[in-house]
Amino acid sequence: MIKRKHAVYALLGTALFYASCSSKSEQAVAPNIANETITQASLKFTNQANVTDTTSCTYTFHVDNNGNVTSVDSTTLTLKANSKYNAVVYMLDQTQSPVFVVSNEIKDRENYHLFFYQPTPINAAPVISNTSPYIPGTPVNTSAAPLNLAIQRTDLDTNNPPLQIGLTTVFTTGAASTGNLRWVLRHQPNAKNGTYYPGSSDLDVNFVTVIK
Amino acid sequence: MVNIKFTYLFFITMVFISFCYAQQGENKALFQLSGIITDASNGASLPAATISVKGTELGVQSDKNGKYILKVSAGKVHLYCQYLGYMAEDTIIEVSANRQFNFLLHPSSQGLKQITIQATADNHKEIATQNLTVLQGTDLDRTRGLSLGEALKSVTGVTTYQTGPSIAKPVIHGLTGSRVAILNNGVTLQAQQWGQEHAPEIDPFVANQIEVIKGAAGIRYGADAISGVISVNPKPLPTDTGSMDAEVNAVGMTNSRLGAFSAMLEGALGKKLAGFSYRLQGTFKRAGNTSTPDYVLGNTGLMEDDFSAAVQYHHKNYGIEGYFSNFNTKLGIEYDTEVGSITDLEQKIAIGHPVTYYDFTYLIDRPYQTVNHSTAKVKGFLNISDSSKIELQYSYQVNTRQEFEELSFSPSLAPAIYLQIHTAAVEANFDHKDGGGFSGTVGLSGVNQGNIRMYGYLIPNYVDYDGGAYVIEKYRHNKWLFEAGARYDYRWLQAYAFDADQAKINTTTTSYSGTSATAGATYNLTDNLKITGNYSAAFRPPSINELYIDGVHQSIGEFEIGDANLKTERANDFSLDLNYTSKWLLVDLEGYYNRINNFIFEEPTDQYYHAQSGALLEFQYTQANVFFRGADLNVLIKPLDSLDISSKTSLIYAWNETIHDYLIYTPPTRLQNGFTYHFGNLGAFRNISVGAENIYVAKQTHVPVGYDFAPPPNAYSLYNAHIGFKLIINKTLADFDIAANNLTNVAYKDYLDRFRYFADEPGRNIIFRLRVPFKILNNNNKQ
Repeated sequence: MIKRKHAVYALLGTALFYASCSSKSEQAVAPNIANETITQASLKFTNQANVTDTTSCTYTFHVDNNGNVTSVDSTTLTLKANSKYNAVVYMLDQTQSPVFVVSNEIKDRENYHLFFYQPTPINAAPVISNTSPYIPGTPVNTSAAPLNLAIQRTDLDTNNPPLQIGLTTVFTTGAASTGNLRWVLRHQPNAKNGTYYPGSSDLDVNFVTVIK
Repeated sequence: MVNIKFTYLFFITMVFISFCYAQQGENKALFQLSGIITDASNGASLPAATISVKGTELGVQSDKNGKYILKVSAGKVHLYCQYLGYMAEDTIIEVSANRQFNFLLHPSSQGLKQITIQATADNHKEIATQNLTVLQGTDLDRTRGLSLGEALKSVTGVTTYQTGPSIAKPVIHGLTGSRVAILNNGVTLQAQQWGQEHAPEIDPFVANQIEVIKGAAGIRYGADAISGVISVNPKPLPTDTGSMDAEVNAVGMTNSRLGAFSAMLEGALGKKLAGFSYRLQGTFKRAGNTSTPDYVLGNTGLMEDDFSAAVQYHHKNYGIEGYFSNFNTKLGIEYDTEVGSITDLEQKIAIGHPVTYYDFTYLIDRPYQTVNHSTAKVKGFLNISDSSKIELQYSYQVNTRQEFEELSFSPSLAPAIYLQIHTAAVEANFDHKDGGGFSGTVGLSGVNQGNIRMYGYLIPNYVDYDGGAYVIEKYRHNKWLFEAGARYDYRWLQAYAFDADQAKINTTTTSYSGTSATAGATYNLTDNLKITGNYSAAFRPPSINELYIDGVHQSIGEFEIGDANLKTERANDFSLDLNYTSKWLLVDLEGYYNRINNFIFEEPTDQYYHAQSGALLEFQYTQANVFFRGADLNVLIKPLDSLDISSKTSLIYAWNETIHDYLIYTPPTRLQNGFTYHFGNLGAFRNISVGAENIYVAKQTHVPVGYDFAPPPNAYSLYNAHIGFKLIINKTLADFDIAANNLTNVAYKDYLDRFRYFADEPGRNIIFRLRVPFKILNNNNKQ
């Protein structure tokens, strides 16, 4: 068996080895560099009634050397009942050095981005308009107690007419309840019109949410 | 092991036998039939005319002076002589000694468009008992400006696997990618064929003829070609000493506003440099956004610039040829087809059309890909005797592919993926033929390949060495042609992957070996009817992506995982072909059964990969035993000299025996029915022809459960029409052709287009084609 293989080799080898590109260049493996990745996405809250009352929730993506996500961590979002919070988005790419503040870049490209915030469960379909931060198609669950949370975006881009962005928002809580907050960033180059459908998602995560 | 030993024994025996017969053949009583073929109207000799002996597989082409030599046995010989644009001659002569017989051919009234549907001499076929379809002449001209994949859709059993309107991969008998070998001027294209959105890097304008072999052809073209071979052949370099010719092709299309321009200059040197000839050719192509009947597809433009040069020196008994080609393209990928998650994809499928309507533009934005492919080859031949020849070929290819994804927030200008693959290949073939009916080829081949990646990770760097040896022998006797062949291939593959967890380089070495074989026979029942049976065994080692891919496939919401322990695929392909050809009717019916053991495919794992952008379905490469069976029927009727009616049917059925389910992406039934009517001349307009065709593609109902994100689209029916004529421009006949594809502007989706999730196929397209040949220097002109 081995002899046979070698016979084939002997015939072809000489010409090929001269011809071949050196395998050294293949062995010098270039590092894996992704153009963009998100490793951490946070929402930071400040109670409008008390600026020292702050809280936050953070979603962390652990990525391997191929840039693939191996595991995720997420913190619970805890808000006080019947309160209003100012919220800001803070996103990082920690694979870059120095650490890349993704939310600043999104601010620079505000005309291409739109954030959506969808509390669940809900008892009635959310109002969908180009000023609504809610996600169309969210299933309505009338048998579960709803998460008493309303969100308004408070920033505008430089499109004509201006459209909302969602880097800054106001979260209004009602009575104590529990549920989830789905948080989505839509990337809509040359297509942003205030609605969810154009473009594709860059971020799509869930926070367990407690209002107490 | 037993199998390999047996094949070896067979291999050696065949070589031995063939040489024995080569010796013996010289003693057999055969007579030489020779003559010259000339134009009856002006006495000019006709080179490359075909002379065949009906009822046998014998046949030759006339040389540059119109001369031919055939060796025939004594008795009545039914000779058939044909030349494109001339009326074929059919005659029976008695041979009892060496004799001379000249043909005088009359130009046919309809010129080049005359379809002569008589069988052509197919003795040049490298695998004589496998189905070979040749696309050439007006049929090929009518595909100018299309991609290679699109151009081949008129061949039964061939379709395309597409990624939007600009990227098409040819599919033969249900399989594509690395399972179909593509040859560019005799060099097997070595690029990143594994990728679903990686179209073949070939400029179809170089082709004078495209050959399609349907079936497992690994015997001659090496491991991988388990489903078919596409060979793009430029026309032979001119040999008319002292001549210089040029040709200009221009194509314009209304949909996508494509403009393609191709120019060629060729000639043969005279006097002291007689024997030298050359050709230069270049193509320039630009297209903008394609339109469906209802909307424009954003970012679907393309750019292509190609160049090729060839030079050869031919002496009577030896020759050498050099060839270089460069293919350079930039392809836009449709906007909004990069999906972040499965929910994104489901939402887009539910809408079924782009959410954002874009305007027409030629600009190409991210996402896009650029590909550069260079090929250099040197080939030499030496005629050892009248009937044997040695050929040596060395080729070197570099393919550089960069894919630029849509960026959300990064200011980066870098590509997402950069892959550069270098391939050096050597090939030595020995052809022999004796007067007694034996002919054959023995060959050795070797390939060395290296792949280098940068930026994002999808497949690793690797180095690969391949070696192969084969023999194919044919024996013709009376009405029979027998063929048998065997081949052994060995592949050594070393991959250098970046270990995802430990940040170090992982070197993995694997080797694959296997045997390929073919056995077949043709029996000529009558002068018009022949039946051919063929069995071919071939194998394909797993490709680099199937072994080591690890990453996200953007546009189909998939996260792909390779399996480093995959084994080689083994194909056992049976085909039976019935061919009837007469002056007014051609019927070609081929049935096939291709069973592939250890067939590699992607299986959903029912797990989700949680990307930042949401959940993506995980797919893992795995293996199963599958089969493909089908039939290709091609009928051509000429009820009148001026009317051709054609009907083509392709049926295919594929089944996965391991999981007891259908195979995904099996082409649905396809019917093509059409006619062409030749009006002859009308004033200044020569060879006017008008035609129309209907293409019907059925709905694929045989789909596996749980493998696709959307059900197959409905059946569709398209109408195409064309009108062609010639006009004399500057003393030469220029070809004009106007075609309308999807004349009725039907909105439809095709099952074999990955972007059917997002949008419809292109709407009506009117195509204008012009070809102007001109003579710069005449034969033996004083320079």
